[in-house]
Amino acid sequence: MPLLKFTLSEEGVSALREALACLNKFSEEVSLEATKDKLVFTALNSSKSAYACFSFTTNRFFSRYQFEGAAQNRSKFFFVAPPNVTQALLSLFRARSGDPFHEHEKDTTIERCDVAVEDEAGKNSRFIVKIICRNGMTTKYRLPFEVSPPTHAKFNKVEATNKWTMASRTLRQLMDHFGPGIEFLDIHSEDDQTVNFTCFTEKVAQGDGELFCPRFPAASLRIFLQEVLKKPLHTSIAIERDEFEAFEVAEENLHIVISVKDFRAITQHAAPLSSGITAVYSTASRPMQLSYEGDGLKCEFLLMTVGGERGDSGQKAKKARANAKGPRPNQLEAATSRATSRALTPAQDATPAGRSSTRPDPVPSLRPPVTRLSQRPPPPTFEDDSLFVPQDNDNQWDPVNLNEDEEEENARLEWNASAPQTSTTPNMRSVIAQQTASHGGFAGDGPDQTPAPSDFEPTQRISQVRKYGLFGD
Amino acid sequence: MRFKTDLKNVKTFSKLTAALSSLEKVAWMRLDDDTVRFTVIPDQGSQVWASLSMDHIFDSYQLQSAEPHNTINLELPLGPLHRALKSADDKNCTSASLRLTKKNNVPLLSMTITTTTTSSSGPAYSRFAGRGGGSGLARDNLGGAGPFDDDDGEFPVEPLETDLNREREKIITQDIPVRVLHPEHVETIMQPKVREPDVHIQLPPLLSLKAISDRFTKLAVAARTGSSSSAAAGANASSAAASSYSPKLEISANMHGSLRLALTADSLDVASQWDGLENPELDPGQLNCPLEDHPSTRFREGGPGRWATVRVDGRDWSRVLSVGRLEGRVIACFADEHALILYVYVPQYDDVSAEDSVVTYYVSSYSM
Repeated sequence: MPLLKFTLSEEGVSALREALACLNKFSEEVSLEATKDKLVFTALNSSKSAYACFSFTTNRFFSRYQFEGAAQNRSKFFFVAPPNVTQALLSLFRARSGDPFHEHEKDTTIERCDVAVEDEAGKNSRFIVKIICRNGMTTKYRLPFEVSPPTHAKFNKVEATNKWTMASRTLRQLMDHFGPGIEFLDIHSEDDQTVNFTCFTEKVAQGDGELFCPRFPAASLRIFLQEVLKKPLHTSIAIERDEFEAFEVAEENLHIVISVKDFRAITQHAAPLSSGITAVYSTASRPMQLSYEGDGLKCEFLLMTVGGERGDSGQKAKKARANAKGPRPNQLEAATSRATSRALTPAQDATPAGRSSTRPDPVPSLRPPVTRLSQRPPPPTFEDDSLFVPQDNDNQWDPVNLNEDEEEENARLEWNASAPQTSTTPNMRSVIAQQTASHGGFAGDGPDQTPAPSDFEPTQRISQVRKYGLFGD
Repeated sequence: MRFKTDLKNVKTFSKLTAALSSLEKVAWMRLDDDTVRFTVIPDQGSQVWASLSMDHIFDSYQLQSAEPHNTINLELPLGPLHRALKSADDKNCTSASLRLTKKNNVPLLSMTITTTTTSSSGPAYSRFAGRGGGSGLARDNLGGAGPFDDDDGEFPVEPLETDLNREREKIITQDIPVRVLHPEHVETIMQPKVREPDVHIQLPPLLSLKAISDRFTKLAVAARTGSSSSAAAGANASSAAASSYSPKLEISANMHGSLRLALTADSLDVASQWDGLENPELDPGQLNCPLEDHPSTRFREGGPGRWATVRVDGRDWSRVLSVGRLEGRVIACFADEHALILYVYVPQYDDVSAEDSVVTYYVSSYSM
């Protein structure tokens, strides 16, 4: 008996996929928490400086939702989807959901998706996904998970006196102006009229000998080339306060600095929902809460802000950083509810140290003293680029890329070089024929005769799908 | 030293920057009263000298320096410049300007872009609707005067409609770090001198030329890794070979409208030929010698079998062809077994009478 069962419509699948894709930008490991009226997905990044929480209202978001609860705890059940499962779910949903660029594959779009979660004594914990496509094909996946309590980051709303709201689409458009390789976004209001969004980075481009050799005869150019390339594009945007739907910031000249990578992940997810993103925060090196709502969906993020005034120049900060070796990054506070589940896995030890069961007041030790710029979230990886949506489609002019694996997209004048080596087998029918030959008959009504690569049982009988013409006569 | 200008034809500027940045990360930008020149000289590979009239991409500019013709030499990183131009090359952008300035003693080209965001007026409207509803209620409570009494001096207050849909302006500042170059440093950099070409021909659409060239380059890599993989199997070995090895393509043209692209590898020979291309007439006034003595005349007389040939590096050639995004006419000049020069004529759409700007590619070539 599954302890949790739910069904997603086509729209539900794509909404869940968008949520998973966003969560995945924070952490590969996603925690789920099911109750009767809510299904909550959370992710905490590895440096514990950013936390994402998606809360689906069960009666609005799911076309069917049934929560039985585990024997130990009737009201709540939580588990963790390990990285490979999150990835698997993402690709399952991505591959077959409606995509305007693949009109001809309309038949294979997902019509609905049934999910069941089993966690019975003596059996493995399983997350069973059954995908029903428009053409009648059904696929079933069993994914493992671990029963483990999720880690929630805490946010003190009372101390957060500063608040603003802005249309998510506008925010997204603003973020598009910042170049790649940018780490931090500084938000501050100088006067009553404007609010400044400024991006900067502390990352110093590495002096790559091959790339930074002198082109021109003058020897001093060599130094220049290294210096000028170290300094990235500096972007700042002045926005009228009217642009905000609400702007209540008590403190003038308050610089709030957050990670661009995290903020981009949020604006990317929020933009299609075209709702307002509300930011609530107190002061530097305290968390900022960003929240918005979709249909049957509540999204909430906590981003640790980088401490310290970013004054006139970064040089002061650089010195400070040189002195303070190996600073600890700011972390969010964790609040974990204790697990009552059957299987307490070692994964629990991996949850943050200093996890206070339900201690009401914040744990001081978790909060490093007010920090300078140098105490910052970990530098974002260069995967930053994946967050960009190319504005114009002129990558056909990009130089030839000789690593075939990376460019499945460039289909111009090409054939699929990544096709399997067995491509000498002309078509599906002959593959079936070969299987029939080697396994002595491929009777449609004998599922146990079909060769199973693993222990998976077939989800449908051949006779049921024969009408779709996939297998010939 | 002063430089300040509004930007126009941002798309052209942006595409030129993109084409240049595929070859090199930094460019030398030289400004004077008439022209703006971008020069890119990579360690290896083709170099580019792009010369545009100031009016092509700049509008109402101010230029001033102690040098003759108010020359200013800058060196700037192409990536940040391209990123900044992307902000300016946007349908919501209303104006863009560029100025040479200093911040914290660092010289910068500061680009100021005024833009609007397509605002979703939904939430703003509901805010006002709420307020409107409130005033309506207050009016009802007043009651006594009656709904048809127009002389009570009270009028319902409504928001100004235009304000709701107004697109609010944002000012984006993109600061590109640059270095001001001393004239002595740059005067030693000379544009290459090449002998009179044997064949000049207008290239076919660069998109198809690039697609086929890239295909050939990949074929050569595949053929090589295919033959060597038996010895050193494994994806790592083959991808390492792919990253270090760059095949040479053979490009030939004649004075009878044909261009040929060929690849000779260990296990394959492949060639593509375009015919019916144009060999533009030379202007005798521009030549140093009588037209009869020009090498191209001998090649024309030599018939369709008289090819001028150069060898180019497949990767580098692909970067060169990236200039196709500028959508200009491209004339290739072949000095047989010696050099290949591409002249890309960039049209000026807003002023048809103006002379086209020219981007010159000195394609690095190889002998057998």
